[in-house]
Amino acid sequence: MTTETTKMTARSVQVFYGDNHAIKDVDVDILDNTVTAFIGPSGCGKSTFLRCLNRMNDTIDICRVQGEILMQGENIYDPRVDPVQLRAKVGMVFQKPNPFPKSIYDNVAYGPKIHGLTRSKAELDEVVEKSLRRAALWAEVKDRLHAPGTGLSGGQQQRLCIARAIATNPEVLLMDEPCSALDPIATAQVEELIDELRTQFAVVIVTHSMQQAARVSQRTAFFHLGNLVEYGETGQIFTTPRDPRTESYITGRIG
Amino acid sequence: MKKDTHITTAFDRDLEAIETHIMRMAGLVEEAILNAATALETRDEALASAVRAGDKAIDALEEQINMDAARLIALRSPTAADLRTVLTAMKIAGALERCGDYAKNLAKRSNVLAQMPAVAGSAGSIRRMAKAVQLQLKNVLDAYARRDVVLAEQVRQDDHDVDQMYNALFREFITHMMEDPRNISACMHLHFIAKNIERMGDHATGIAEQVIYLVTGSLPAEARPKADNTALMTGTER
Ligand SMILES: Nc1ncnc2c1ncn2[C@@H]1O[C@H](COP(=O)(O)OP(=O)(O)O)[C@@H](O)[C@H]1O
Ligand SMILES: [Mg+2]
Repeated sequence: MTTETTKMTARSVQVFYGDNHAIKDVDVDILDNTVTAFIGPSGCGKSTFLRCLNRMNDTIDICRVQGEILMQGENIYDPRVDPVQLRAKVGMVFQKPNPFPKSIYDNVAYGPKIHGLTRSKAELDEVVEKSLRRAALWAEVKDRLHAPGTGLSGGQQQRLCIARAIATNPEVLLMDEPCSALDPIATAQVEELIDELRTQFAVVIVTHSMQQAARVSQRTAFFHLGNLVEYGETGQIFTTPRDPRTESYITGRIG
Repeated sequence: MKKDTHITTAFDRDLEAIETHIMRMAGLVEEAILNAATALETRDEALASAVRAGDKAIDALEEQINMDAARLIALRSPTAADLRTVLTAMKIAGALERCGDYAKNLAKRSNVLAQMPAVAGSAGSIRRMAKAVQLQLKNVLDAYARRDVVLAEQVRQDDHDVDQMYNALFREFITHMMEDPRNISACMHLHFIAKNIERMGDHATGIAEQVIYLVTGSLPAEARPKADNTALMTGTER
């Protein structure tokens, strides 16, 4: 299932770290129920742009963001928007699995608790179970929910982080190289999960693996030196890219 | 051959190896076509037998190209122009293999025809047609090696001439058969030969289309007028 419904719209986005112009006038539409991959050489601004989508850059002092990012018509940079609330709607999973030093249960329950999304223990139990099921981890952990999250394997920890991100019932899920610390089997499991997740969310994934972008995404955006060079249907990008810079990059030539 | 190279140089070597095999295969096919036509005209049974035996080498090259292509896809996951290079190599190798089979069939029939009285002028006409098709193949492989879309388009258009030659031969054979039924056996063989050469021309056109796809990423949209109208001929019109 892929829809053409736009979930987020970025217009003329510029990002500066001090004098470093890291993102240059980027326009992009993030579609609902679609996995959008950001690819490009190291340092081209993929992570920076991804962090714009849930205002994670606010936490970096020297970082300035200009332009507009709309989520269902509302500018997420509007002063009235609470970034903490925003991050519950636009969840994020990082490169290295980073479970809290707490139990598996508490890792997943944390978000719903601080956002006050549940009224009873029973309801919280339900959210935890549902999130672990959606993250394809339930079967593996249901008998040890109170064991520490840090005791899981790398792949399980990453799926725990995904469960934690989706426990607040977000609309968009951002993932920054979520598989780069995982072995091939754990990677395949997470990729399978990503494909499953797009039935419920808009997923945006930064990946340095072009094969992964080709495997999991329906849309691909190629960034180069802070510019969004090309954005299109993944099959088109990998078979007939329009821009010679995209072609050089995806075919592994010096660009 | 290409303007820039891969970071992994082994990738370039693999792609180049496939293209080298294509060019060798094409060389063998061109030679087989010319030799088979010469064997027909000069009634040289030894040369015809050599053409028949030589088809094995052509088949082996096609297999090699397909294996190399499969390996490259599995190991290097080619994309964009690299992917088109691999896909077109497989298709071009397939087209060349068919041309090789037709040349082999021509050689086989030339051995049979050598046992029959000659049909006046026909072997010379066949040789001219074979020469025209061999030139088409040579041009289209030049277009492939140089990534020359203009030349590929020229080959596509020139197939018309081969079709015309075939139409003329078709008429000629019908005339011979009507004039003297003793010509029927030989003319049937000659007609199959002419038809097969015409098909080689179609393969050259197919290769030209692959070259255009390789370079531009899309097949030519505009249809090419077919000049083979023998399907409509009754043999009674003059
Ligand atoms: N926290 C930061 N502080 C200062 N500069 C940063 C920071 N994060 C990224 N940058 C700079 O922004 C540019 C883009 O980096 P990044 O978004 O991490 O690229 P990518 O994810 O594509 O590798 C780089 O020049 C990088 O040095
Ligand atoms: Mg990054």
